[in-house]
Amino acid sequence: MNVLTDRQRERLLGYALIAPVAIFLGGLVAYPFVSAIYLSLTEKIVGYPAHFVGLKNYGALLESGRFRIVAWNSAAFTVGSIVVKLVIGMTMALALHNVVRGNQFIRGILLLPWVIPTVVIALTWKWLMDLFRGLINVALIDVGAVRSGVHWLGDPTLAMASVITANVWRGFPFFGVSFLAAMQTVPQELYDAAAVDGAGSWEKFWRITLPSIKGVVAVVTLLSTIVTLNDFNIVYIMTRGGPGAATHIFATYSYELGIMSQRWGLAMAASMASLPLVALLIVGVVRYLHREEA
Amino acid sequence: MRTLATKLVVLIALVAVVFVPALERPAAAGKLSLWRLKTYIPPADKILDTNAQECAKKAGLELAVQTYTFDDMWTKFTAAIESKTLPDIAELDAVGPARLANLGRLADVSDVVAAATKELGPILPNADGAVKFGGKYYAVPHYAIPLVLFYRPDILAKVGAEPPDTWEDIQNVSEKVKKAGVQDFPNGFPWNRTGDGYDPAMSLLWSYGAAWVDKSGKFTGIPKAAGLEALKVVTRAYLADKTSAFDYLSWSGATNNEAFMAGKITFTPNGPSILFQEESTQHPLLKDTAIKVMPKGPAGRNLALTFVMNWAVPTDGKSQKEAKALIGCVMARENFVKYMTGSFRQMVPLFAKPLDDPYWNTPSGKIIVDTVKQGHPVGWPGPTTPAAAEVVSGNVLTDMITRVIVDKVAPEAAIDEANKRIKEIYDRLPVK
Repeated sequence: MNVLTDRQRERLLGYALIAPVAIFLGGLVAYPFVSAIYLSLTEKIVGYPAHFVGLKNYGALLESGRFRIVAWNSAAFTVGSIVVKLVIGMTMALALHNVVRGNQFIRGILLLPWVIPTVVIALTWKWLMDLFRGLINVALIDVGAVRSGVHWLGDPTLAMASVITANVWRGFPFFGVSFLAAMQTVPQELYDAAAVDGAGSWEKFWRITLPSIKGVVAVVTLLSTIVTLNDFNIVYIMTRGGPGAATHIFATYSYELGIMSQRWGLAMAASMASLPLVALLIVGVVRYLHREEA
Repeated sequence: MRTLATKLVVLIALVAVVFVPALERPAAAGKLSLWRLKTYIPPADKILDTNAQECAKKAGLELAVQTYTFDDMWTKFTAAIESKTLPDIAELDAVGPARLANLGRLADVSDVVAAATKELGPILPNADGAVKFGGKYYAVPHYAIPLVLFYRPDILAKVGAEPPDTWEDIQNVSEKVKKAGVQDFPNGFPWNRTGDGYDPAMSLLWSYGAAWVDKSGKFTGIPKAAGLEALKVVTRAYLADKTSAFDYLSWSGATNNEAFMAGKITFTPNGPSILFQEESTQHPLLKDTAIKVMPKGPAGRNLALTFVMNWAVPTDGKSQKEAKALIGCVMARENFVKYMTGSFRQMVPLFAKPLDDPYWNTPSGKIIVDTVKQGHPVGWPGPTTPAAAEVVSGNVLTDMITRVIVDKVAPEAAIDEANKRIKEIYDRLPVK
């Protein structure tokens, strides 16, 4: 006897089909995320049971001078990296958009930094910026630009600029390729009409290209902001957060707290500190995209 | 539908019966897992693995060896502690035994230590503090990699200086080297987030009488006057005479080796691995490289022994008896001496007899042994405790130093900040 109607059977099948994805997302995304939030509300030392302490960890971080330095560094690292990646990525896209011969080859070459493992990139930049043997300093001394090596990784300000440089080098192709793909969807007729009306290159970019690709710009910037804010390898390999704490950022600080000091609760709270900002950004971008679509 | 549901339930139950116990079950009897440090001396690692495999073979055991570096050791162990999957045999660093014993996760290995002392002589008294808690041994000291002072005798000869014996001597000679235009930044002491930073930081503070605990290991705080004197050593080098470059504060583990071997610095603290590198590559600077015991201060030569590796038997494993037997075999005199003499003087025993081996009877060998004999465990003058471990791993001491030289915080305020952090750690992790 069949107890289920066709409609019920169809519904069950639907649930069965989405179940693997739901389990996958629940197990690999939702569970760790919720666990991390819970742990950030506990006094959790590795090997000991967690004790709920409410917002104590967040309070401790807010009171910590070290955390304020880390938050400031993370903001400087992220904003500095994103702004430069945006400018270089846009320049790369505009240049490639107008290149006819060798376009594919140049695109391939420019994509290289994006496909090289981050560890290799960080080690390479560390070597390039070495005080004594780094190629940059050797070249600068050879051409007489400086008398002795520049302290790329030693001066607190230059060290931050150096890790930003490595991050930009790795990340700008993502911006460039995404912008280029978006630019190629802009109808040529718009540019032709603008040319008839006497528009110059700048006006075409400002009034046609940018408005047409702003959705992609927003999404790419958002994604890169999230990735940059959580970057670990570049800073850890190039400076270990040094000199002092001049390049210590959320990820390296969380690692120090969670793995080296075994304080998971506090480490999770430090990791979660950027969450409200990222959530606001995501909501902002999504709402903006919805509005644009409407 | 009902048939399908029944089949699914049976399938899930079967999977659970077969796989879940397998996931939870530690290595079966006859199989042992061993985690060890991957050192800077690959030939020594090979000898250790061969010894361990031969020991396992003799005992009819199958041994699976996994490695880690100093950089990823605690990442690996943290995951294993939480998931209760520590190996049968773990080679732990200087603070590992205190941390894991405090968690109740290490077996008492006093019997293995007793057997080892019969073979290798008594444990050095200064090694006890890192492995013996409440009268029981929770780890067997394997070896120490002592930090020694590397220097360039040729450069010292150029400026007419003697090898330095105190922290102040290092600074005076560095200043001479800089003034003579031989090197811009000869003083390669990196107060950074690596062992080359925090090990000398302890030696410096202790040599000025600036320990943060008493003999029982309880918090007393860094004494202000002694701490200020110690901080003068680093401020002079980085801020006044500028014989050290700020770049040293961003060095990673091997960068000081590279800078020394590139001929860019006169002094640096390091394990004997620079000697291994120079000897094995016949490096041009080999003839101009010398070592010395790390400097002393007004309170004496109180050296830190941070790079100490110890064998332990985590209680997660069900083959503790076999694990202990394997450690005993690896530490048997013949095996141990084979390993030690193949280590390019990097692995220094913490038992008395092998230290008298003719192998150490060379100028550099004597200095290395002397350094280990004078070394103190993390948390000196008390024993190593989880709190002392966190002071070091949390970079509290090197942060104190860099707050002064990078952030330009007043030395008094930097000591106050450090003491506040240390007190918070000791309040949270009270010494039992």
